[in-house]
Amino acid sequence: MAVTAVPLSAGLRQRLSAIRPEEGVIPAFIFSDPEVYRAEMDTIFARCWLFVAHESEVPAPGDYVTRAMGEHPVIVARGEDGRIRVMLNVCRHRGMRICRADLGNASHFRCPYHGFTYTNTGDLIGIPYQREIYGEAIDRSRFGLIQARTDSYAGLVFATWDADAPPLREYLGPMTWYLDLLAGRAAMEVVGPPHRHEMAANWKLPAENFASDAYHTLHTHASTAEIGLTPSPRWAKDGYHVQAGNGHGVMVGTPAPRFIFAEALLPTFARHLRPEQLALLRTLANMPGTVFPNFSFLISAVSFKGRFVSHTGLYQWQPLGPERIEVFSWFLVERDAPPEWKALSREAFIFTFGPSGVFSQDDSENWTNITRNSRGPLARHLSFLYEMGKGARPTRAFPGPGEVYEGKYSEVNARAFYRRWLDLVQGDGPWT
Amino acid sequence: MDVTPEVRQELTEWLYHEAELLDGRRFEEWLALLADDLTYEMPVRLTREAGGGEEVAREMAFFRDDRETLRLRVARLRTEFAWAEDPPSRTRHFVANVRVRPTDRPDEVEVRSYLLVYRSRGDAPQAELLSGERRDRFRRVGGTWKLCRREFVPDQATLGLRNLALFI
Repeated sequence: MAVTAVPLSAGLRQRLSAIRPEEGVIPAFIFSDPEVYRAEMDTIFARCWLFVAHESEVPAPGDYVTRAMGEHPVIVARGEDGRIRVMLNVCRHRGMRICRADLGNASHFRCPYHGFTYTNTGDLIGIPYQREIYGEAIDRSRFGLIQARTDSYAGLVFATWDADAPPLREYLGPMTWYLDLLAGRAAMEVVGPPHRHEMAANWKLPAENFASDAYHTLHTHASTAEIGLTPSPRWAKDGYHVQAGNGHGVMVGTPAPRFIFAEALLPTFARHLRPEQLALLRTLANMPGTVFPNFSFLISAVSFKGRFVSHTGLYQWQPLGPERIEVFSWFLVERDAPPEWKALSREAFIFTFGPSGVFSQDDSENWTNITRNSRGPLARHLSFLYEMGKGARPTRAFPGPGEVYEGKYSEVNARAFYRRWLDLVQGDGPWT
Repeated sequence: MDVTPEVRQELTEWLYHEAELLDGRRFEEWLALLADDLTYEMPVRLTREAGGGEEVAREMAFFRDDRETLRLRVARLRTEFAWAEDPPSRTRHFVANVRVRPTDRPDEVEVRSYLLVYRSRGDAPQAELLSGERRDRFRRVGGTWKLCRREFVPDQATLGLRNLALFI
């Protein structure tokens, strides 16, 4: 579906001109400005590939979950043909939300308003009294559910509204190498439904945090060292920033004191990964990252219940306005991990990175307060400091692709995130 | 165990006392009321079509704790780095609709109650609210009641709280 972006106002263009990502100059207003938000919906959320689900959430034909792409509700459904489709959850007749459950299994969806009925592949197959009221005049094939382009990588399902967007693999670019480590190292599954909660924060703050901000762990998460989850407040300092293009960023924490995954799965990892990926996985300590714009992930390891265990989480920051997001968090795990390891990993995830997590609790305090502080006339010029690692040169002493910088306390990924963000918001040709 | 009016009264008072401790941030005193083998869980709530399946997902949870992990949560709140609750929120745990039922064990009873947590944070006049049902199990230990199982089933499929830096 083609989306025409509303031209930016002269005022917004002027405000945007204060942003100089390469210099580390990011003014506060971008985290609360309603006009910025409207432009983001047009130029980013209507165009980029957006994460919608993990394939294991809809394992069988007819399975569906309801999600959002930006502000648009969608149904993610697996048809009888095994294909996953992403369809606008909006009846073509009068705009009613045709599916109002979080998940289920259905061969068709019937709109509550007038009874228009669609298959789970989006075809309009039933209009009550069609012949009597519309005669032969209506061509049902013109009124199927609006379909998004859908594709998946390593079980991660993405969709876009933009017919001109490059194929998913090209959009992800070097990020695929890291998504292999995240979600392709074995047959993976999401356990249960995602956590969902809302907070008064701008979506870019958590997206940037996961892409680029290892530095905050030193102070924001110092409590985790005091209670023995992490060895010291500086536990997340060593490793690399990787700019993976298109605004994607990942931080590779390494080396690890011990192997953080289930030992029993080493042969499985060896089968799924290339040798250089496996070598990195063996010494991986943690790995947060963001697929531009609003899909983040984290492999994290903590000492928990007398053990050292990792968990893998997927996170989405769904925009609900300039100052509001709904946070989704999923627990992803190797399907064939030993049951006892799986259970411990899940508990560690809940204890550290769900809404009750002792890490994420403090993150929400930061993001909500920054959002609030970004209002007002001073915010147009009140620049935040994004200069860490400026002038650093990429390293070649790293096995993975992308532009790689040594050291996790850096803001190189944040600058790349806002460069891409600014290019898109300004409409400077998204796919050149 | 017979659920006499005295038992009912004791357990209702227990829940009120617990609310007082939680809202007064007297967490260490609260921990002392919990059985060593406590399971403390908050499953995820789902919106399903009527008759379309289980609305409570227990494979994933907002809390899946025991006494030791609750002790860790309290210890964390006592560090100088627990920003989520420093400055602290003001909370009220409202407990209502208390129902006490016998179990198949002579020393244990089941207690169901409604819980509404009101949370006021900073200078925001709008409260964060959390409502749901507690499904508790209590054990008689040496003349006192210990909480040995709690499942709090929330009413919201999407929680309206920035975080769960509180106890349910």
